[in-house]
Amino acid sequence: MKSVLFYLKPYRNYMAFAWLLMLVELAVELTHPLFMAKIIDEGIAQHDMGAVYKWGGLMLGTSLLAFASGIINSFAAAHVGQNFGFDLREKMMDKIQSFSFSNYSRFASSSLITRLTNDVTQVQNAVFMSLRIMLRAPLMVVFGTVMALLIHAKLTIVLLVTIPLMILFLLKMLKKSASLFRSVQQRLDGVNNVMQENLTGIRIIKAFLRWKYENSRFQQASEQLMAQTTRVLRTVETTTPVLLLVMNSSLIAILWFGFAEFTSGTATAGQIVAIINYATRIISSLSMFTFILMAFSRARASGQRIGELLEQPEEEADQRLKGNAFYPQGGKIEFNDVSFSFPGGREPVLDGLTFSIQPGTTAAILGATGSGKSTLFYLIPRLYEPDRGKIFIDDQDISTVQPAALREQIGFVPQESHLFTGTIRENISWGKEDASMEEIIEAARRAQIHETIEQLPNQYETMIGQKGVNLSGGQKQRLSIARALIRKPLILLLDDSTSALDVRTEAKLLSALREKRCTTIIITQKISTALQADQIILLEDGHVMASGSHEELTAGSELYRRLLASQYGKGGMPHVKVSR
Amino acid sequence: MSRSAVKPAHPHSRHAHLGPKPQVKELVPTLKRLAGYLARRKGLLFLVVLMVAASSALGLLGPYLVGMAIDDFIITKDEKGLALLLSLLGVVYIFYSLTIFLQNYWMVGVAQKTVYEMRTELFAHLHQLPLSFFDKRQHGELMSRVTNDIENISSTLNSSVIQVASSVLTLTGAVAVMLYLSPVLTAVTLLIVPLLYIGMNWITRRTRRLFKEQQRHLGELNGFIEETVSSKHIVKMFSREEKIALAFNDRNAKLKEAGFWAQTYSGFIPKLMNMLNNISFALIAGAGGLLTLHGYVTVGVIVVFAEYSRQFTRPLNDLANQFNTLLSAIAGAERVFDILDTEKEEEEKAEGIRLDEVRGDIEFRNVSFSYEKGNETIKQVSFKANQGDMVALVGPTGSGKTTIINLLSRFYDPDSGAIFVDDCNTADISRQELRKHMGFVLQDSFLFEGTIKENIRYGRLEATDEEVIEAAKSANAHTFIMKLPDGYETKLQHEGTGISQGQRQLLAIARAILADPAILILDEATSSIDTITEMYIQEALSRLMEDRTTVVIAHRLNTIRQADQILVLNQGRIVERGNHEELIKKQGQYAGYAGSLSPTALKQ
Repeated sequence: MKSVLFYLKPYRNYMAFAWLLMLVELAVELTHPLFMAKIIDEGIAQHDMGAVYKWGGLMLGTSLLAFASGIINSFAAAHVGQNFGFDLREKMMDKIQSFSFSNYSRFASSSLITRLTNDVTQVQNAVFMSLRIMLRAPLMVVFGTVMALLIHAKLTIVLLVTIPLMILFLLKMLKKSASLFRSVQQRLDGVNNVMQENLTGIRIIKAFLRWKYENSRFQQASEQLMAQTTRVLRTVETTTPVLLLVMNSSLIAILWFGFAEFTSGTATAGQIVAIINYATRIISSLSMFTFILMAFSRARASGQRIGELLEQPEEEADQRLKGNAFYPQGGKIEFNDVSFSFPGGREPVLDGLTFSIQPGTTAAILGATGSGKSTLFYLIPRLYEPDRGKIFIDDQDISTVQPAALREQIGFVPQESHLFTGTIRENISWGKEDASMEEIIEAARRAQIHETIEQLPNQYETMIGQKGVNLSGGQKQRLSIARALIRKPLILLLDDSTSALDVRTEAKLLSALREKRCTTIIITQKISTALQADQIILLEDGHVMASGSHEELTAGSELYRRLLASQYGKGGMPHVKVSR
Repeated sequence: MSRSAVKPAHPHSRHAHLGPKPQVKELVPTLKRLAGYLARRKGLLFLVVLMVAASSALGLLGPYLVGMAIDDFIITKDEKGLALLLSLLGVVYIFYSLTIFLQNYWMVGVAQKTVYEMRTELFAHLHQLPLSFFDKRQHGELMSRVTNDIENISSTLNSSVIQVASSVLTLTGAVAVMLYLSPVLTAVTLLIVPLLYIGMNWITRRTRRLFKEQQRHLGELNGFIEETVSSKHIVKMFSREEKIALAFNDRNAKLKEAGFWAQTYSGFIPKLMNMLNNISFALIAGAGGLLTLHGYVTVGVIVVFAEYSRQFTRPLNDLANQFNTLLSAIAGAERVFDILDTEKEEEEKAEGIRLDEVRGDIEFRNVSFSYEKGNETIKQVSFKANQGDMVALVGPTGSGKTTIINLLSRFYDPDSGAIFVDDCNTADISRQELRKHMGFVLQDSFLFEGTIKENIRYGRLEATDEEVIEAAKSANAHTFIMKLPDGYETKLQHEGTGISQGQRQLLAIARAILADPAILILDEATSSIDTITEMYIQEALSRLMEDRTTVVIAHRLNTIRQADQILVLNQGRIVERGNHEELIKKQGQYAGYAGSLSPTALKQ
């Protein structure tokens, strides 16, 4: 919470200004009965229209002053509230961008989204409110009590007893409802999560006719949210009747003690009336307290959630800008006895991996499903750190190199294309911010997607929807390849990124890749793809089973021969008996 | 002064760059529609209003009794009478608190149930929308409607209904009393009503649009966050962190801008109310003064009148203070209704044909389709497959293979031509009925958060554990599942780590095996699976395909070769058809394609 309030600091002048304006408004409001009395006593009662106009005019004048203050206060409060919210969202996004994967694993993405939007809105609302009306209620209480004290101290003792009790009660409620609101926000995460899953898996849900099932899942999540919201709101809303009962009881007490004072002659009827009057004013401002309590406890809960995110420790794995400079040369890659297992995983995914790839050559990685091929890719740009062993690029131990500099040199094409909402041009130039149109077209040409783009209604300016739905799988893959190529990377990593391409397109693509000499690693299932590499690395259960050229492997590796047979039949020739 | 200072320029010029102005609907129909949701709980709502009336009455009775206590008992020093009256007052206060408690208690229930219904209705409606609706929308933007927009409604409904009810009651009461005291002064007081109307109109005209803009920008921000967070690997690989943060701030700034003006303008409302109150106060004093001079009213009447006009507009003031939340709730409601008003997938024909037993004959007759107008994805496609046939779709990317599958399963409907299953036009069969007989392994093997078992069972919810394991074994997924920390009970996280793309596909195949459909659709079902594993599951797949019609998209020769019919697609047209041998003989596109798959051909 503290870390959240810290972001209000730049606006303290504005806040003070807003409060000042609020005080002006309040002062006007409190002096108005005075003017009214003057109008009646000096004007109407004395039949003096001059006095009526004078005090009436003053009343109108101060009204306008209050109005003007109110309007300016609106600007100031909105300014502070919105900028504060803006800053929080900015800081949170910056923080998220510095997250390592283990940071990420602590938050569901739906929860990150709720924190950045809904939680910020809650905090922002509380700030906005506190700058506009919050002072009014407490000041009313203080002002009323002071006035009552001035009139008759002894009778006011009742108020002096109940008001601190009331404050204690409110503070207790604040704590309690804050923790309740926290679980409301958590359940909102839950609703968000089901929603996100449903949107991502909409085709599967439609295909398997599971919308009823999904509906019941969503209903469950919403029901939980409803139950918890109902609970917390009911808790908070009991504050008003309880406070009213306490304050009204003290009113009765004042009347009772007032009677004794009156009979013993230590208080006049006028004094009793006046004190009762102030007590009623205090009571009438009580409903405001529930309102404030609600906003503050919500803000407290949300503030904690925001703080939790902002206070995430920076993981070693993602100190992107720390480390030595990287001196790229030809792009030689060396793995030396590298082992890795995911946090919480039982068995190592990679186990004593050793191989090297010469600069400018292409290596293909073949291996069974789940043999650790994709994981290997994550180690090269230091998205994960190996548990054991070392990786060298151009003879530099990458664990000492600044990750950001390393990643600059790498072009990565993931298994799932992951395109972004925007135009095709934007998606390709995503790989290189300042790319010129020529560079974009060049990259698209090499990725064999230029001609397809040219046929689209708006060519490079064609918008692609969420995850590029109106493109075919293969087209998306090629866009994602273009995005990597535009970086003119030293090292190109293709993670099974040609699976949706037909053989001819793939062959063209691979020969286009060879034109520019960059070290390329291709993860693939297709031997036809692997055949075009200078070197084939066979992976099984996290070990390198064999590596070498097609001929070497055909001669030396049983696994490779089996792979070959599975794709081309025994003789390596395309006629094969398949059980049907 | 902070870096983003407010420039008090003319508001219109400031909004100009916020993009196209969102459509603002009529206020009254939106409110009516919201009220319609509330009205579903008429009984409770009635009780709430009753309690509001009771608490308002008790709230007036209290001060009256206090006055009586002072005038009739304290001043007369009647201790017994006072004790009696004070106990009565105590009872009144207890009931006062009780009625307030009850009205809140019930109202929270009504409001939250209403919000719940809106949310689930919205969700259910989303599932009735065609796929093309989702193609163009950001997930996060839609999510924002279910969370941020509906939460806005939620926070308003609780307080506003009570506030409105008590305001209406007290206002009516106030006007009645005022009329009774002095019709002339009442008329003077009511002079501010037109002013109030003009002012409110001026403000709401601006704020409603601004609030809708604010909610829209919030939605877009949500969309942006969702997209970048779920692509975190790519962001990191490309070192795009700073750029993402910058692009985020563009949207963030737009939200701030809209929010600033929305809050500022709506903040005027309580101030306006206050000022008009004060003016009416002054008017009463002035006019009252004149009237007393001529002896029309007494001073006492003016004092009481002024007190009433002040006392009774307080709830209105409270309402005005919450006006900004009310307006943003209306903006939220509009965005929810926007989706609810989006047309569902073409209404199914009520008496749609029921398919109890499906043989699995498939026919495409001159089918054409385009995702976007003027850009046909498939053109005049016709083919026929008999029960138990295997059809392979072959062709370069973007040639329309997946589209044919999309049409067959009625994810989309053809622009022209017709598709038949067992000689029934699929347009006459409900989607539900049709897909009941189809099993899918799609390009993206999406898995849900949940255990492995739950994910496989998704294919057929009533399957037993044994059947789930059996299906996993057939799909060759059993071995790797057993290696996971909790076996079949291992929880998969959204985009979870530790399970590879190929393993996902194995699970998707197990899911389809479990579903046991008459028509099987495999769209690149094994693309990420190594070929040795594929060989193992080939047997299971072959068994699965035996008596079923299967439509396959694949790039591997050994899969394609088995097909009874191979359709070679190019730019949306079928250019060649036949089985492997026939097409090889033909020496056309397919022959070249198949040849390129042979290792010798490529090694040149």
